[in-house]
Amino acid sequence: MESNKKYWKGLDELQRTPEFAEKNKNEFAEELPLEEVLSESGLNTVTPRRDFLKTLGFGLGAVSLAACQTAPVHKSIPYLIKPEEVTPGVPNYYVSSYNGQSILVKTREGRPIKVEGNGTGLFGNHGTDATAQASVLDLYDVSKLKSPKLNGAETSWKELDAFVKGELNKVQASGKKIRIVSSTVTSPSAKSVIAEFISQYPNTTHVQADAVSYSGIIQANGSSFGKAVLPRYRFDRADVIVSFGADFLGTWIAGEEFTKQYVSNRNAQSLKKGKMSRHIQFEAGMSMTGTNADSRIAVKPSEMGLAVLALYNAVTGSQTGGAQIGNNTAADKAVKLAAKELQNARGRALVVAGSNDVAIQTVVNAINAALGSYGATIDLDNPFYTYSGNDASFNAFVDEMGRGEVGAVFFLNTNPAYTYFNSKAFSDALAKVPLKVSFADREDETASLCNVIATNANYLESWGDENAFEGYYTLIQPAINPVFSTRQAEQSLLIWSDNAQKNYYQYVKAYWEKNLLPAAGKTWKQLLQEGFVYTGEKPATAYTFGGNVAAASQAIATQSKALAKDIEVQLYESVAIRDGRHANNAFLQELPDPVSKVTWDNYAAVAPKFAEEQGIEEFDLIEIKGANGYTVVLPVLLQPGQAKGTISIAVGYGRTKTGKAGNGVGKNAYPFASVVNGTVQFLTTATISKTGGKMELAQTQTHHSYEGRTVIREASFKNYLKDPHTGNDKHQGEHKTYDLWPEHKQIGHSWVMAIDLNACTGCGSCVVACNVENNIPVVGKDEVRRRREMHWIRIDRYYSFNEGGKSVTEEKEIEKLDNFDDVSVVHQPMLCQHCDHAPCETVCPVIATMHSSDGLNHMAYNRCVGTRYCANNCPYKVRRFNWFNYWNDSRFDNYLNNEFSQLLLNPDVTTRSRGVMEKCTMCIQRIQGGRLQAKLEKRPLKDGEIQMACQQACTAGAIIFGDFNDPNSEVRKALGDERTYYVLQELNVQPGIGYQTKVRNTVEA
Amino acid sequence: MSAHNESILREPLITGENITYSKITNDVLVPVENKPNKAWWIGFGIAVAFALTWVVTISYTFWVGLGTWGLNKTVGWAWDITGFVWWVGIGHAGTLISAVLLLFRQNWRNSINRSAEAMTIFAVICAATYIFAHMGRPWLAYWVFPLPNQFGSLWVNFNSPLVWDVFAISTYFSVSLVFWYTGLLPDIATIRDRATGARRRIYSILSFGWAGSVKNWQRFEAVSLILAGVSTPLVLSVHTIVSFDFATSLEPGWHTTIFPPYFVAGAIFSGFAMVQTLLLIARKVMKWENYITMFHIESMNKVIIVTGSIVGVAYLTELFIAWYSGVEYEQYAFLNRISGPYWWAYWSMMTCNVISPQLFWFKKIRTSIWASWVLSIVVNIGMWFERFVIIVTSLHRDFIPSSWVMFYPTVVDVLLFVGSIGVFFTLFLLFLRVLPGIAMAEVKLILKSSSDQAKQKLIREGKVDPEQAEFYKNSLEKYDSVSKTEYANI
Repeated sequence: MESNKKYWKGLDELQRTPEFAEKNKNEFAEELPLEEVLSESGLNTVTPRRDFLKTLGFGLGAVSLAACQTAPVHKSIPYLIKPEEVTPGVPNYYVSSYNGQSILVKTREGRPIKVEGNGTGLFGNHGTDATAQASVLDLYDVSKLKSPKLNGAETSWKELDAFVKGELNKVQASGKKIRIVSSTVTSPSAKSVIAEFISQYPNTTHVQADAVSYSGIIQANGSSFGKAVLPRYRFDRADVIVSFGADFLGTWIAGEEFTKQYVSNRNAQSLKKGKMSRHIQFEAGMSMTGTNADSRIAVKPSEMGLAVLALYNAVTGSQTGGAQIGNNTAADKAVKLAAKELQNARGRALVVAGSNDVAIQTVVNAINAALGSYGATIDLDNPFYTYSGNDASFNAFVDEMGRGEVGAVFFLNTNPAYTYFNSKAFSDALAKVPLKVSFADREDETASLCNVIATNANYLESWGDENAFEGYYTLIQPAINPVFSTRQAEQSLLIWSDNAQKNYYQYVKAYWEKNLLPAAGKTWKQLLQEGFVYTGEKPATAYTFGGNVAAASQAIATQSKALAKDIEVQLYESVAIRDGRHANNAFLQELPDPVSKVTWDNYAAVAPKFAEEQGIEEFDLIEIKGANGYTVVLPVLLQPGQAKGTISIAVGYGRTKTGKAGNGVGKNAYPFASVVNGTVQFLTTATISKTGGKMELAQTQTHHSYEGRTVIREASFKNYLKDPHTGNDKHQGEHKTYDLWPEHKQIGHSWVMAIDLNACTGCGSCVVACNVENNIPVVGKDEVRRRREMHWIRIDRYYSFNEGGKSVTEEKEIEKLDNFDDVSVVHQPMLCQHCDHAPCETVCPVIATMHSSDGLNHMAYNRCVGTRYCANNCPYKVRRFNWFNYWNDSRFDNYLNNEFSQLLLNPDVTTRSRGVMEKCTMCIQRIQGGRLQAKLEKRPLKDGEIQMACQQACTAGAIIFGDFNDPNSEVRKALGDERTYYVLQELNVQPGIGYQTKVRNTVEA
Repeated sequence: MSAHNESILREPLITGENITYSKITNDVLVPVENKPNKAWWIGFGIAVAFALTWVVTISYTFWVGLGTWGLNKTVGWAWDITGFVWWVGIGHAGTLISAVLLLFRQNWRNSINRSAEAMTIFAVICAATYIFAHMGRPWLAYWVFPLPNQFGSLWVNFNSPLVWDVFAISTYFSVSLVFWYTGLLPDIATIRDRATGARRRIYSILSFGWAGSVKNWQRFEAVSLILAGVSTPLVLSVHTIVSFDFATSLEPGWHTTIFPPYFVAGAIFSGFAMVQTLLLIARKVMKWENYITMFHIESMNKVIIVTGSIVGVAYLTELFIAWYSGVEYEQYAFLNRISGPYWWAYWSMMTCNVISPQLFWFKKIRTSIWASWVLSIVVNIGMWFERFVIIVTSLHRDFIPSSWVMFYPTVVDVLLFVGSIGVFFTLFLLFLRVLPGIAMAEVKLILKSSSDQAKQKLIREGKVDPEQAEFYKNSLEKYDSVSKTEYANI
């Protein structure tokens, strides 16, 4: 009901006086003092004393309260006086040299954090091997000594020098011998230092011996051609390569250099020209080189020499030695075929053998001579100097010590107490030497027997030089001041020999300026920038084979008979740990073996069928008793392709005094070795017995066949020549992609990658390079066993078996095979594919992973809550989860959980916390860096300017990264190749990484 | 609901003589109004021990990291999400009973809905713990909510099934809780009226001032109906969305359109099994045989046969479709389930979920208390295996063979799961002590129509066809709470 009642607020309203009407026409009856406030007077009112005090009091109180909060203390100390060349955030690169290869050391704010190959170098190329990549971690090794030691106690250099000099003079006076024992020294400056030391103490001799020796080749060349050198093999000039147990892509002489050469005849460019080398490998254990061979034939060590002889006979038509290679009919057939192929490729053929037996190497020389390889694929005039150790001289040295003739011994880069097969004889003899000096950087097996440890500096803290092959000299220049109280061995020798020049830097500089730089026409400054000089190739001279094949064949027959027992044992160097010197390097321990994918252990590799016959299973602990009575208990690994009746064991493990990471990893296999025909041979016979125990090896891959899936695509070279698309045609025709949504236009860049399966040898240097670049945690044996390794890039290795001309790839069918000998291997680097339709991106509840406009799959660690849904939904299984805080957990001491080794961390890459997902970022820090550089220089990015860490480390050039939107980019061309396919492209996830089919140069007999 | 006489052909939902409203109250409130008996203490002691194990293991996991579990680079989910789906599934029976059966006017639900709903809530709590626990950084769990950016977190990804899950589970939990609590109001008021001192005050607050007026009842009925309407879609949607976690992914073995109905059926299947597990014991210990009768047990067993068979058909369909699809990854995934290294898990699942419920076709078995209880446990085990099979055997061997691995649980995995059962039972046993385990008000509602005494009265009064009365008497054969001699007198 509507009411007509009116209420009024006062008499004014009722009477509606004019004043009232005037006042109430506005919203507020009384006028607001706005004008007054805004006018000059309002703003300029003088603050009364009380107000002033009030405000002052509040202000003071508030400020003091606010000040009570502890502000974070930042420990960053700015440069007080900034070095001219250091700009925080900008890396500096210094040339240096590692194992004869010229490298670039990347430093950030004074810390070396990464090693790259020096692209202009002549030994190796832009790539490096895994050990070079990992070598920076050795600088930050916590297990190193922090100061020199004298008789077990830390001491100063002054006292140490006084002691050593006194002792040396006493020895000199007594007439006893002084010995400098080292692994091969290639450094001309160091050799000069040693020579001057010898002139000061004339009783001195320099004994060089390598843990893994090449004496056999050197001696054989001495007797065959009168040139006792390690020749420079040229795999790039060889169309047919036959290798008898030489792991030339991995550990044999110069794996990186040979990889570069070898791949040049097998990569995309070569295939485009319709050319591919043929590689036949005879070996007992499956080596990395064997996995790359076109034909691989398993032969026992006892058959190896016979096979070489058989090849000699087949090539030359002579009838030396026995006609049969044991009972190995497959080898017989293969040798005959190989001989035919070698003869067809005269002058473009190369036969190599990994054996250290003079006799075998002599016959190999004879074959190569018959094939006209000298001067073509083998260069005796420009030899390698990387290994010149002499087994006999070391044996003689041990005898001298045993007789008490040696008064002083210096150990440089050598650890015979561990690597010498008869280490007891060595240590007993060593005990008779009064002055024992080790230049080790840690108290290793030999150093702990010495009374003086004159701690050597890391190569990144040192001056020096190397001479990998004739005429090629590389410079070692320090990238950091010595971290601990260490001194270079050369400098110590200079001081102890009272050399006029006691500063090794000055010494090296003077040596180069006198001997090497004038010939090359370069200055020291240029050298510091370029890193090497090359004085040119020596002209080839003709060689005629003068070796005694008949005597060699006798020796081979005797040796073969001695080895032909039920079980033959072959020792080998593993690709990562090598002779044991890298045992304390966590990156290398966690690098899966290229073949077995085992980390953190050595093992007894046996053939699956042989294991079945012996009643042993995988991971059974077996006791292996060598011919010399040495026994060792190792877990069994079933290795397809392993010759039946043989066991392969890696040396370099079972270190007891290498440091936190490497102590007690695996078992020492060196004692199985013995001296035969004057050289150390890594062969023995053995008996085995089961211990009943089991030990699971930490493998990063436990399923070994690719189940006939299109993940791997292969073709034979013959078919490839007919149709380059072959092997890539499982899905007929061009693969179409479909999209429910309008396509994202990728303006600007589109970062993609191409990986050539035919170039990849599986060496794993990309894995280590990625680890170092991206601060990837090392998780240790137990965690790898739980399948939690953190590697962003892995190399998948698949076996397939050939039966009746058919490739068998499925597990269920493989189980039915009678014969696991004829095995083919393919390596596939696998990393985040940066899919355009990334399945990980849609499922993340918090958008922690998303796509960038330039085609990358980003991962925002800070946003990740760790549901792991993305990893489950990733068809490539490349995502890695941080199960623990790897940098704050004492179980992971080996790398991240240590203030010192944390100095290795790349400051451009965040470390990840526990509970966060991570994966390949496509080295986004490098992409950003490259883009910024181009922007600063106001130019577009150049193709190839930005390189991924994995790509950069890859000597084989199997990985190409670039911009797909650039029509002239390398990667665009590579992806246009007929061999290109995308893994799991049928899922329509549209991966950004294309693979090129594996081509095998198989020949049907 | 219905004051008229119910057909004599229907089996009674309440048995026993001289059942009055007050007797119902007295019977139901025995555990609430008295000191707990020995059986309760023993059960509670065990449950708390396991719950404490859970507390310890979850704390250890939070402290150290998810590395304490058996997960690895390939298998990112295993016991965690298995446990999560299992618990969510169990919850479904409660909602089905309280909502769907209410809408369909199935009066037999009145005796069991309260406990079933409580079970739902506790099961969802257990499931929720897994959502937190499985996160790498659980302290940031709130990031999965679409909170305003000003709050400090960012917007979520509405494409992700995990976000749908967050909504599904939280909606489910809140609606279930409200429904359950609304139903409790008259009963809490009853307790309040009979209590004294502090208990009275507490129940008084909890009863929200229920006065028992006609208006109260009218609104109560209306709200119940509305909530039933709201909950009914949830029965279907929650597990559908949970199944999307798998179905929308591209893992072979997960990427399947059959998942939503198959998961929902499986959820109801496991939920009813859990209700059986709980109530068969509760009815014995609490002496509630007159309210939870053989009819209830048999009805639930019938639901178990139906849903178990649906699940079985789904399993076979999956196999057929995998073969029919011609996709090698899909085919391998299922071949691997059947004959791979986890074959035993698959066949445990098949035996427990498909074969064992078929035993309920035999009346003897489905009306045997022992058989029902044992089979309910078997079904629960089977449903756990189902989730394990789906999650682990799909993940451990998917596309790229190099990444194929095995999953082995750690002690922490196992204790966390066993512990979560402890948490569940601790909550359930506490519930029985403080709130009525049977909806008294709703049971009273049907006393006059669906009770045995009402039907006897009808027979005695000769208001029913003797032939029908005979049928009725025969139907009582299976009841363990009806004395047969009594009927001889009528």
